[in-house]
Amino acid sequence: MRDHLPVILFLLPFATAICLPMVGLKAHRWCRPLALVSLLVMFGLAIVNLLLVREHGEQSYGLAGWLPGSDPTLGIEWVNDHLASAMLVAISFLASLCLLYSGSLTPTIGKHRVVPYYTLILLLISALTGIVFAGDIFNVFVFLEVAALSAYALVALAGGRALIAAFRYLILGTLGSTFYLLGVVFFYATTGTLNMAEMYQQFIASPELLHSRAIVGGMTFLFLGLGIKMALFPLHAWLPGAYTRAPDAISPLLAGLMTKVALYGCVRILFWGLAAGKLLEPVPALTLLGGLGMLAALAGSLLALAQQELKRMFAYGGISHIGLILIGVSQTNQTAFAGSMFYLMNDAIMQAGLFFIAGAAILHHGVRTVTDLPRLRQSPWLVAAFIALALSMIGIPPTGGFFGKWHIILGALEAENYLAITAIVVSTLLTMAYFQRLFLRIFGHSEVVPDSAEGSLALPVKLAVGLTAMLVVVLGLCSGPLIGFFRLTASAAGL
Amino acid sequence: MSEQIQVALKEALERPNLVAFVVLFLCGFFVMTTNSNMIKKLIGIYLLQTSVLLLLVTIGVKQDASVPILIADHTESSETIVPADYYVNPLPHVLTLTAIVVQVATLGVSLALVAAIYRKYSSLDENEVLQRIE
Repeated sequence: MRDHLPVILFLLPFATAICLPMVGLKAHRWCRPLALVSLLVMFGLAIVNLLLVREHGEQSYGLAGWLPGSDPTLGIEWVNDHLASAMLVAISFLASLCLLYSGSLTPTIGKHRVVPYYTLILLLISALTGIVFAGDIFNVFVFLEVAALSAYALVALAGGRALIAAFRYLILGTLGSTFYLLGVVFFYATTGTLNMAEMYQQFIASPELLHSRAIVGGMTFLFLGLGIKMALFPLHAWLPGAYTRAPDAISPLLAGLMTKVALYGCVRILFWGLAAGKLLEPVPALTLLGGLGMLAALAGSLLALAQQELKRMFAYGGISHIGLILIGVSQTNQTAFAGSMFYLMNDAIMQAGLFFIAGAAILHHGVRTVTDLPRLRQSPWLVAAFIALALSMIGIPPTGGFFGKWHIILGALEAENYLAITAIVVSTLLTMAYFQRLFLRIFGHSEVVPDSAEGSLALPVKLAVGLTAMLVVVLGLCSGPLIGFFRLTASAAGL
Repeated sequence: MSEQIQVALKEALERPNLVAFVVLFLCGFFVMTTNSNMIKKLIGIYLLQTSVLLLLVTIGVKQDASVPILIADHTESSETIVPADYYVNPLPHVLTLTAIVVQVATLGVSLALVAAIYRKYSSLDENEVLQRIE
């Protein structure tokens, strides 16, 4: 049982996704409970998996019994290590929370779309699980595509303007995955393997291979493709539109998970495939990614400051945080790596929480833009959660956001990269500026008359918003052991 | 200078598959970026993907090689197995096949999306649709 846990974790949402259309044919009100139960069971199993990995160490799983370790590696390897299992807990937790939350919002989607809605969410989750586990770069490509295809369809479910946003997302996303595939081709043609661990061995044995034109070209295309997927600053054009126009119940899921998992894939390839932790050759690539990260951190928060629409503002905030995490990853030391992985988990929760609030604000109070914000005063629950999440977004002590940023800055100090520290600090100030703008609207004097809310908040919405807000504080309070855990992942990455 | 160009040309002609890939890739990119018609954009991106598949499948080419199925060599009295050198590496083909499946799925989703947009705004031109939304 224990040996097959990775594949069970993948098959659970996948098999449910296959079954849902059949169930939905007769009774579509069974779809939601079924999907929810499957994701909750997955969450439980993910926690079991995390505990098992902590106890027994890293596990390498060969799909269908084609065990890796043979020379050359035959079959598909899945790597179930500390980082993957932690990521999986975050994914399954957020997914179940999103499903819980979306219950009261499904009426806006329309009855005939209920079945595809839940099927696509489950497909998305199983594809993300695949990316997290994948031990070879071609599998990452396939799962990236499955995740992206579900995401396009989910964005388009809102209809109307969302269709155009989804189409743009599709064009750029497909371009990204094509670039990624091109990178994979170059890597395969040069190294003769797709398996990351084997690639790692080859690069360790002959580091000069990393200077060859094919590998440099392959790296360029690979990271260009992943950069589009993770909405790295100059390549972010698809993200704000897609997240703003997506159904209110879907934006938290996409904002919390899609870009983070692409970033995870990037880290996985850099440190487990290209041996960036051991060798000096991949350093130029890391420096470039770090530089782009600084640009993204600044530009993202600057653009967020200029937005009127709430969801769009949060989307730009997410872009700036991707930059922050990349800065941490590119410092190549344990502290910064652990800090940025901790921040990655935090950011997933913060982004999901902010979009939960934005969705509830639209549904119950009709708040879409900054000028409507005073109406939010009627709902102390939303405002309280919003304050907690904003503290974490800015990075103020008892929250997780602070400790993530703090360790990234400590790591940058260790690497004597003062430019990176400046970028982080300025981006923090800009983040503070745009949240201040929001809070001034909520608490300041205004002419907007708070009209009566459309019904009180449903319990699942309260639960989702409250849990995410509580969790960022809890993550901050438990940051000591968690950072210690992520330090383990950093040493596994060779740092 | 002209010598360098000659060398570069010679190198390029030795690998016509790379030249074909670059030409197709750039064509696809051009079509995708310059047209505002959504179907033409899709044609461009399809071309782009196909060019990468072409590259993927051509790196696995080996002349006078056999299919990767274990064949017994009947010329000698004892049935020895043909050494692996005579087989084509099957992996690039398998990868191409998988990538084609992915491509088809993407095309299906994108055409469905364009159909939905056309039904809603009765136009295939992106700028026109955006104007109608305003």
